Amino acid sequence: MSTPDAPRGRGTFLADVRRRRAATRGRGRRIRNLFGMLRPYRGRLVLLGIALLLSTGAMLAPAPLVQRAVDDGLADGDLDALTTLVVAFVVISLIGLVASMALARLVGWLGARLLSDLRERIFRHLLTMPVAYHERQRAGVLVSRMTNDVDALQQMISSSLVTLVQSLLLLAGSIVILLTLDVKLALITFTTIPVLLIGSLAFRLASVDAFARTRETIGAITAHLQETLSGVRVIRSYGRERAHLDRFTELGDDNRAANMKTVYLNAAYFPAVEYLSTAAIVIVLLVGGHEAIAGAVTIGVLVGFVTALDNFFGPITDLSNVYTTFQSGMAALDKIGDLLEQESTLTDPEHPVAVPSPLRGELRFDHVTFSYGATKAGVTATTVLDDVDLVIPAGATVALVGATGAGKSTIAKLATRFADPTEGRVLLDGVDLRDLRQNDLRSRMGIVPQEGYLFSGTVAENIAFGRIGATREEVEDAVDRIGAREILDALPRGLDTTVGERGTSLSAGQRQLVAFARALIAGTPADRAGGDDEAQRTLHRGIGGPAILVLDEATANVDLRTERRIEEALATLLEGRTAIVIAHRLSTIRTADLIVVVDRGRVVESGSHEELLQQGGAYATLHRDWQHGTEDAAAALP
Amino acid sequence: MGTFRRLLGFLRPYRRLWAVSFVLALLAMGVTVLSPALIGHAIDRIRDGDKGGLTEFAVALALLGIGRMVLTIGRRLVAGRVSLGVEQDLRDRLYGHLQALDLGFFDRWQTGQLMSRATVDLSAVRFFLGYGLVFVVQSLLTVVLAAIAMTIQQPLLALACLVPAPLIVFVGHAYGVRGRPAQQDAQQAVAEVTASAEESISGIRVVKAFAAEDRRQEAFGEAVEHAFQKQLRAVRIDASFQPVVQFLPQISLAIVLLVGGRMVVDDTISLGQFTAFFVYVMMLVQPLRSLGVMLGLGQRATASGARLFQVLDRAPDIVAPEGAALRTLPLATEGAAIGAVEFDDVTLRYPDQDTPALSDVSVSVLAGERVAIVGQTGSGKTALVQLLPRLYDPERGRVLIDGVDVRDLDPTALRHEIAIIDDDPFLFTATVAENIAYAAPGATRAEIEGAARRARAHEFVTELPDGYDTVVGERGLTLSGGQRQRLAIARALLAGPAPGTAERPGDAGQGPRILVLDDATSNVDASTEQEITAGLREVMRGRTTLVIAHRLSTVLLADRVVVLHQGRVADVGTHQDLVERSELYREIVTYGMADQVFLSREDRPTEVQEA
Ligand SMILES: Nc1ncnc2c1ncn2[C@@H]1O[C@H](COP(=O)(O)OP(=O)(O)OP(=O)(O)O)[C@@H](O)[C@H]1O
Ligand SMILES: Nc1ncnc2c1ncn2[C@@H]1O[C@H](COP(=O)(O)OP(=O)(O)OP(=O)(O)O)[C@@H](O)[C@H]1O
Ligand SMILES: [Mg+2]
Ligand SMILES: [Mg+2]
Repeated sequence: MSTPDAPRGRGTFLADVRRRRAATRGRGRRIRNLFGMLRPYRGRLVLLGIALLLSTGAMLAPAPLVQRAVDDGLADGDLDALTTLVVAFVVISLIGLVASMALARLVGWLGARLLSDLRERIFRHLLTMPVAYHERQRAGVLVSRMTNDVDALQQMISSSLVTLVQSLLLLAGSIVILLTLDVKLALITFTTIPVLLIGSLAFRLASVDAFARTRETIGAITAHLQETLSGVRVIRSYGRERAHLDRFTELGDDNRAANMKTVYLNAAYFPAVEYLSTAAIVIVLLVGGHEAIAGAVTIGVLVGFVTALDNFFGPITDLSNVYTTFQSGMAALDKIGDLLEQESTLTDPEHPVAVPSPLRGELRFDHVTFSYGATKAGVTATTVLDDVDLVIPAGATVALVGATGAGKSTIAKLATRFADPTEGRVLLDGVDLRDLRQNDLRSRMGIVPQEGYLFSGTVAENIAFGRIGATREEVEDAVDRIGAREILDALPRGLDTTVGERGTSLSAGQRQLVAFARALIAGTPADRAGGDDEAQRTLHRGIGGPAILVLDEATANVDLRTERRIEEALATLLEGRTAIVIAHRLSTIRTADLIVVVDRGRVVESGSHEELLQQGGAYATLHRDWQHGTEDAAAALP
Repeated sequence: MGTFRRLLGFLRPYRRLWAVSFVLALLAMGVTVLSPALIGHAIDRIRDGDKGGLTEFAVALALLGIGRMVLTIGRRLVAGRVSLGVEQDLRDRLYGHLQALDLGFFDRWQTGQLMSRATVDLSAVRFFLGYGLVFVVQSLLTVVLAAIAMTIQQPLLALACLVPAPLIVFVGHAYGVRGRPAQQDAQQAVAEVTASAEESISGIRVVKAFAAEDRRQEAFGEAVEHAFQKQLRAVRIDASFQPVVQFLPQISLAIVLLVGGRMVVDDTISLGQFTAFFVYVMMLVQPLRSLGVMLGLGQRATASGARLFQVLDRAPDIVAPEGAALRTLPLATEGAAIGAVEFDDVTLRYPDQDTPALSDVSVSVLAGERVAIVGQTGSGKTALVQLLPRLYDPERGRVLIDGVDVRDLDPTALRHEIAIIDDDPFLFTATVAENIAYAAPGATRAEIEGAARRARAHEFVTELPDGYDTVVGERGLTLSGGQRQRLAIARALLAGPAPGTAERPGDAGQGPRILVLDDATSNVDASTEQEITAGLREVMRGRTTLVIAHRLSTVLLADRVVVLHQGRVADVGTHQDLVERSELYREIVTYGMADQVFLSREDRPTEVQEA
C-alpha cells in the first residue's frame, strides 16, 4: 500500500505531503463514528465529564494557592491565613482524589464497553461479508483487526484519550490562570504555541506512513502465525520448520524496521517539546525578573507563574508521551474503518419475498453465467460457468458429474446463494434467489460443503449446529438415518466425544459423517412440518428436515462399506426432497433421477442413466472408464 | 513474583543497552532536579534586585535544558532499540517454541488461544518491558533524587515532605496482590473472544450454510460480555489504587505549605528555598501519576507473562535425541533397495484418550514394496502412517525405517525421507509454484511443472489468471476440491528423485525414500484419477509406497494389502489371498467393483517384482 521509502525528489515533495495528508483524511468522521457508538451510555459520559472537570480543577489548584500563600500568608506573616489555605488545599485534593477514582472507573467502563461493542460490530460485519470475501482474505488478518487493532484502540482510549482531554482542560485552565496572573508574561509564554502547532503538524505528516506500516506489518505477522497454526500438520510432515522460522523473522524485521522509524521520529519530537518549556521558564524569569525588580509585578506572581507554567507545559509533555499510543490507535482505527466500510456484495433485498409455502423445491438456472472476481485489477476473470440453463425439478435427485474443476461446486454455490450469477438468474419455485433473505433460504436447505468444517465442541453439538434448538433426539435420529450409528458410537465417548478444533481428533471419514448428519438436522423440525401445513407434511412424510439437500462429495472420504449404508439410507431420505448430489462414485450417480454432465462450465448432457448411456456421449465415455476392468476383478472373486 | 523475574530475564541480552539507557535517564533526571534549585536562586536574586545574577542563573537554566534534551534523545533511541529487540525476541521465542511443539499439543489448544497469546499478551509484556519499566525506574529515580536534593537543602522540611513516600511501597504491594489475578482473568476472557472469532471466521462457509450467523453472533456476544465483566473487575481495582498513588504528592504539597510556610515566617528558610521546595514536590506529581499507570501495566504484563509461560513451559514431546544416540539412515547403494519399514508391535494412544487408536500393530514393508492400507472409517489408517514421520510417538512398540528406530533420527532429517499426502490437503496462501515447491524450495520452474504434469495439475494451472504465479487463497479455498488435491500430490511428487536414481548415488539432493498417499485422490473424478495413477507409477518406482484408499482402483496399485479393523491388523496378504479369506476385503471389492476405475493386470507395473 503506502511505500514509506518512496523516492522523494523536489517536485514530488509536495505531492508526498498531500498524499500523507490524505492518508489521515476521514479520521475525523471515524472518530465521530466511534464516539457515536457511545450514545447509549450518555449518562455515564456526563458523569465522566463532571469527574474530569473536578479532578482537573484539583490539579490546577496548587498554583493560585501558592501565589496566595506567598503574597497573603508569608509576606504578612499571617499564619492563620496560611492554615486556612492549606485546609482548603487538602479539601480540594480530597475531592480530586474521589473524582479521579470515579474518573478511572468511568473511563475504564466506557473504554471496555466501547471496544466490546466494536468487537461485536466487526464480527457482525464479517459475518455479513460473502464467502467470496473470506476466500480471499486471510483469517489471521481479520482476527488481527479484532485483537491487535482493537487492543491498540483500547490503549488509546483508556489512557491517551483521557490524558488528551485532561491535558487540554489543564492547558485551557493554565492559560486562564497565566492570563490572570500577568497578561504580559502570559502573552510572552504563548508565543511558543505556534511553534508547537507547526512542529506537531510536521511530526504528524512525517509519521503517518510509519505508524500505518506498523499496523500492516503486525497484521502480516498475525496472519502468518495463524496460517502456521492451521497448517502445522503439513509443516511437520515435510520438516519445513526452518523455512517458516525464517519467514517469521523476516516479517518481524519488517515490523521492527517500521517501529524503529517511529522511534526516530519520537526521539526528535518529544525532547524538543520538553525543551520549549525550559525556554519559556527562562524567558519568564528574565522578563518577569526585571519587571519584579522594577516593582511592576510581585514575586508571588512570579512564583505562581513559574508553577503555572508547569501546568501549561506538563500537559504538552504528557500529550507527547501518549502520542505514540495515540498514533497507533489512530492507525488501528483506520484499518478497522477500512474493514467496516467494505460493503458486502451479497446483500439481502430491502423488501424480501417470503420463501414460497409450501416449498416445492424446484430450482431453475436461467442462462446463468458466472466468474469469480478478478484476482488483480486488469486481469479478466475466466468464466467458470457459461450460460448454464438447468431445471432441477421439485423432489428430484440430480447428480452433477464431470471432471474436477468443471464447475460442479460452483453450481452448488449459486444454488445456495453463496454467490450471485454474473448474468442470468437462479430461481427457487419461480422466485429469484436475490429476492429472498439469505437466512430464510438457507434454513430450508441442508448443505454439506466440499470443505467440511467442524467447530470445537462435541460430536452431538456439531450435529445440532444444523438448526437452532435441535434436540438430542433429533441428533440421534439424524445419526441413525444416515447409518453412522455404529461408527460414531465407537468413538471414545460416543456422541459426546470432543472433536477438537476443525474436528482434528476425528478421522477424515468420521468428520464427513458428522457434517452429513448436521445437514439433515437443518430445515423444519419434524413436528412443525407435520403440523399445520398439510402440503408440507405430505411432501416430507412428517419427518421434517431440509426441503433441499446439497451434497458436495459428502462421502468422498468414507469407506465403501459405510458409504453403502449411507446410500441405502439416502434412498428413503431423499424421497420428497430436492437434492443436488455431487459425487465421483457411480453407485451414487446411477440412482439419480437426473444426471447432469458438466464440462468446463457448460452443461453438456442431461438425462437419466439409461438415456445418457444410449446417447453414447460424454457420460457413456465416463462410464466406460468406470467399467474398465471390472471383469478382471470379478474373476478374482471366488 | 517468579513470573516477573522471568520476564526480566528477557532483558538480559540487552543488559548493556539497558544500563546505558539507565545512566542517560539518571543524568537527565539529575539535570531536571537541578532546575528548581536554579529557579529558587533566580527568585532570590530577583528579590535582591541583582539583575546580573538573574541573567547568570537564567542562562544556566537554558544550558541545563539543552543538556537534558540531548540526554533524552539519546535515552529514547537506546530504549526504543531495547524495546523493539525484546519484542522480537519474545515473539521469535514463542513462535520458535510453537514450531518445536508436537501435534498432540495443537490438538488440545485452540488456534485463537495461541494467537491471543502471541498478540495481545505479547504486546502487554513488551510494552511494559520496553517502555513501562523505564518509566517506573525513572519515576522512582525522580522521587529519590528530589528527596536527596531536598534533604541537602533543608533536611527537616524534606523529612516532613517525604512522610507519604513509604506509602507508595505499601500501596504498590497491595495493588499487586489484588490486581494481578484480576488481570489474568481478563486476559483469559479476551483470549476466549479471539478463539471464538477465529473459529467463526475460519468456518464461515458452514456458519452461512446453516444460517447460523445470529447464533454465532450471540455466542460471540456472550464471550465479549464475559470479557467485559472481567475487564471491569480489573478496572475497578485499578481505579481504587492508581489515584491513591497520584494523591500522595498532594499530601506533601500541603505539608510544604503548612510547615515550610511557617519556616519562612520564622525566617528559618528563604522565600526562594520555599519556592524551590514547592517546585520539587510539584515535580513529583507527574512521575507519580505515571507510576500509578505503569504499575497497572506491570500487573497486566505479569499476568500476560504467566499466560505466555503456559505455552513456553510446555516441553515438546518429540525432540531430536541427544547427539550420541543420533543416527542416520543407511544410504542407497547399487543394487540394494532402501526404504524398508517395520511397525513393531505398535500401540498408539492419543493424548487424553482411554481407548488406543492402534493396538499391537505389527506390519513390515519391504524396501520398494507397495502396500495398501484399507479399513473402515476410523480404523486407524491415518494413525498408522503418521507414525512414520513421527508426527506422534507410539505408546508402546517401535517404528523402524531400514532398521533404524525413528526416535533415533533427527526429526527434520527423518521427515525429508518421507513424502506424505494428507487426507485433508492444506495449501498455504502463496503462489501455486511456491505451494508445489514447498518441500523443495530450490526447485526450478521446469521441475515444478514436471511435478504438476504428473499430478495432472498442469492443465488447470496454466488456465489460472497468473498461471503458476497465481496466489491461492488461504487453505487453497479459491481452487476446486480436486484441484487442491492435485496440488498436494504435485507437492509430494516434487520432493525429489527416487533414491538410487539420483545422478550421484548418496547425493544429499536425493528424494524421500518413502511415499505415503492418504486418500489422496478422493475428490478427483475417475478419468483424472486414472491419469494421475499413471504419473504416480513413475514416482513409485524405487520407492516404498504406502497407499490408503477406499477406491478399489487405487488399492489395486499395491503388491500387498493390510486390512485394519478397530486399530488392529485384521489381515495382510495379496489381493488374491484376501479376496479368498478376508470378509472385510471381499466386501470392499464387491462394493467397489461396480464403480471403480479398475486397472487391468496388464496395465500394472511389474518393475518392483523384477527388482
Ligand atoms: N473461490 C474461487 N475463486 C476463484 N476461482 C475459483 C474459486 N472456486 C473455484 N474456482 C475455480 O472455478 C473452477 C470451478 O471450480 P469448482 O469448485 O466449481 O469445480 P468442481 O467441479 O467442483 O471440481 P471438483 O470436482 O474438483 O471439486 C475451477 O477452475 C476453480 O479453480
Ligand atoms: N488427534 C486425535 N486425537 C484423538 N483421537 C484421534 C485423533 N486423530 C484420530 N483420532 C481417533 O483415532 C481413530 C483412528 O483415526 P484415523 O484417522 O487413523 O482413521 P482412518 O482409518 O484414517 O479413517 P478415515 O478413513 O476416516 O480417514 C479414530 O477413532 C479417531 O477418532
Ligand atoms: Mg467441487
Ligand atoms: Mg484417515
